[in-house]
Amino acid sequence: MAKTLTISVPPSVEFDTIGSWQSDNVTATEVERALSELRRNEERAATRTSVLTLVIVVGTTDEAAEHMDVVRHLGARHPSRTLVLVLNGEGDEDQSESRLDAHVTVCGVDRGGRQVAVEEVVIECHGPARFHLDSLVLPFTLPDLPVAVWLPTSIPSRGDPLLETADRVVIDTRVVGYQPDALSRLYSISRKVAVTDLSWWRLKPWRNLFAGLFEGHLYRPFLGDVHHLEVTGHAGPRHLFAGWVMSRLDLPRSVVHLGDAEHLSVKLVASHEGRRGRFEVERKGDERVIDASVEIDDGPSFQQKVQIGEAWPSRSLADALGHMGHNQTYEAALEAALGLLR
Amino acid sequence: MSFDQTAAAADGSKSDDANPLADPEERPAPPAVFVIFGASGDLTSRKLMPAIERLALRRLLPPGFAVVGVARTEMNDDDFRERMKELVEKGGGGGPEAKHVWESFVGGFRYVAGDYDSPDTFDRLKQVLDELDRERGTAENRLFYLATPPSTFPTVIKGLNQHGLSKPSSEHAFTRIVIEKPYGHDLQSALELDRVVHDAFDENQVYRIDHYLGKETVQNVLALRFANAIFEPVWNRRYVDHMQITVAESLGVEHRGSFYEQAGALRDIVQNHVMQVLAMTLMEPPVTFDADGIRDEKVKALKAVEIVTPDKVKTQMVRAQYTRGWVGGEEVIGYREEEGVNPHSTTETYVARKLKVDNWRWAGVPVYVRTGKRLPKRVTEVALQFHKVPHLPFHLKQVEDLEPDALVLRIQPDEGITLRFGAKVPGQAFRVRSVSMDFFYGAAFLEETPDAYERLLLDALIGDATLFIRSDEVRQAWCIVDPVLQAWENDDVPVAKYEAGTWGPPEADELIEADGRHWRRP
Repeated sequence: MAKTLTISVPPSVEFDTIGSWQSDNVTATEVERALSELRRNEERAATRTSVLTLVIVVGTTDEAAEHMDVVRHLGARHPSRTLVLVLNGEGDEDQSESRLDAHVTVCGVDRGGRQVAVEEVVIECHGPARFHLDSLVLPFTLPDLPVAVWLPTSIPSRGDPLLETADRVVIDTRVVGYQPDALSRLYSISRKVAVTDLSWWRLKPWRNLFAGLFEGHLYRPFLGDVHHLEVTGHAGPRHLFAGWVMSRLDLPRSVVHLGDAEHLSVKLVASHEGRRGRFEVERKGDERVIDASVEIDDGPSFQQKVQIGEAWPSRSLADALGHMGHNQTYEAALEAALGLLR
Repeated sequence: MSFDQTAAAADGSKSDDANPLADPEERPAPPAVFVIFGASGDLTSRKLMPAIERLALRRLLPPGFAVVGVARTEMNDDDFRERMKELVEKGGGGGPEAKHVWESFVGGFRYVAGDYDSPDTFDRLKQVLDELDRERGTAENRLFYLATPPSTFPTVIKGLNQHGLSKPSSEHAFTRIVIEKPYGHDLQSALELDRVVHDAFDENQVYRIDHYLGKETVQNVLALRFANAIFEPVWNRRYVDHMQITVAESLGVEHRGSFYEQAGALRDIVQNHVMQVLAMTLMEPPVTFDADGIRDEKVKALKAVEIVTPDKVKTQMVRAQYTRGWVGGEEVIGYREEEGVNPHSTTETYVARKLKVDNWRWAGVPVYVRTGKRLPKRVTEVALQFHKVPHLPFHLKQVEDLEPDALVLRIQPDEGITLRFGAKVPGQAFRVRSVSMDFFYGAAFLEETPDAYERLLLDALIGDATLFIRSDEVRQAWCIVDPVLQAWENDDVPVAKYEAGTWGPPEADELIEADGRHWRRP
């Protein structure tokens, strides 16, 4: 069962609404024309250095508002055209007729003293149109730029036509849950289209810090003889993290031990030339501080503390969207995580 | 550029196999001790330590990382730690995220007080380095950084050499040295310094830094030229009429008057920053994007730049000094009134120069270079002005506002690219006017741009020498500049005057106008 995640946003970014337009029961062409008019009539909207078209598919207008906040923060760093498709099925008297209600906004955001335009199109889809979202995405894609489709609460089926329009699908395995069938579907999709898992990006500080423990010729050889890998934390992140280490080091399932904990922690025990080394990364309390330590028998031992930033969804999203190709490391980690769940 | 993590370091140190857990897009530094000579100085607190803090915040420094400060000022380890932390915070660093970085790293901060010509200083340094290897796991890797006045470079280098610190202790370890600019004050002194350096270090251990090369947009000149198919075909004499390189500063000499008196704009800016930007603009496509691939081409490009004889300096160069004037709404004093400046000084604060490039690609395309202090604004740009169209099928009145096409690479502050071209003015009449299409890097990428020192320090720790200057590049840059210095020493070229807040003296305008061209207004 998918759970919802309360979305928190980073401190406010100043957005200046340059112009907006709203109408019910419209066609995609009318929405597109309204967007062009808003841009043409306002000089401040002229500077558009978009890098992608972002499509978000949500269930309700409330969800749309919530995710739009995230996207607005993303827009501050990553100008894009955002198309929010609301599959608002409730309250429709006539489900047999397709209807689109649209709201278009062009905003200006300050980028180092320069106003950059960000475009937002929210379309509420009623009736059968909800099952043909690809036909709504295509008219709004910016020429020659990648299209990222963000599905905040679900994992699409492999045959979903929406995938045909996407260069990248953004999901969050922490929200959709770590069920073998869902992950299996996700893995199958990842063979077809590049996948961004926000959960993977939230693990980045841990991954970097853990990898950093093995930099240099004194420590790297320990990775050749790992006896024990213990990963504790929430279901999901712990599987993905363990899957990553397993796939990178080609570790057998037998050395991997998983456990429940409030925060992620990782312990690896390994040997090199008869000496034992313990490598740990751990978040102990509520403070967002990770302890990383190395302890080698008769050798150097040290500890490093790193404060990690708030895991704002917009930050993870922005980081993730900076990489548009397939992430083979993630795909291998996902496959290994799937093995741990089975 | 060698961004491949598995690529061998420039000095050939073996890092065994690549770390299988490392993110291929990240470039973490290996364990090492960063040794700063001149640790109590301005550069350390303003640039080096903030860069270290940012690298740590980006999790690019491993736990086995330590910093040793060496300087004459008496301090103990704790004073050094406290002072560095305070100065970095004062400079805008610090903050809650940095708190833990400092807690983790300061344990590995040590300080060695002593004179650079005293053997005892180096004995104690050696002892501290050994301790850090044992206690902090710094793996016998050393990165020495000369942040001292240039006059002390030979003393420090000889000290390192005499105490066995200039060579790595094993084939797995590295020892590198970063040398700040200015690298010599003329060709002769640069060659002399090179001899001292090469007595102690192999060339592939030497990282001569010019922070300009660490700027993203300088590197972007390479990306623009060699990652796109549309620019390179027009990047030659057939399409380009001339080039203009502008490095303008609105600031004066500030509190560096006495230093500037010895340097001047030619040594301070032209010999290094301008030559590096020039080389990247003129160079042929490299065969490989590694340190030697790029630097070989830069040297070839610099070798094609005409070396003027001192007698020609008068017609191809203008030197000038700023006088009292207004910059950005503020009245400022003239150069000769600045603190530490001789009231009869002939040191130039402005240089304009015409360069000829003698190779197949650029023959007949003049490069006009200008740099100066107290100009109207801070801007660095390279502008390629294209030829006029061979025939304009319009009435003269229709194209009176049309300038030849130009491609401008803005290096700072608004990093980006501008393409100037002709477009029809809307309306019933057919009139063509020049318009600009602007691209701003800052608006197109979400990634934060690393500071130049942050980038270059990480490169030096990793062993990527691509953005550092090789011995033959320094030599060639001095060969271009040296005849000018000689002519000026003989007082052959008068020092012109320009009012602060203007784009330079009338003599600079005459220099370019003699060729039927004019300076751009950046």
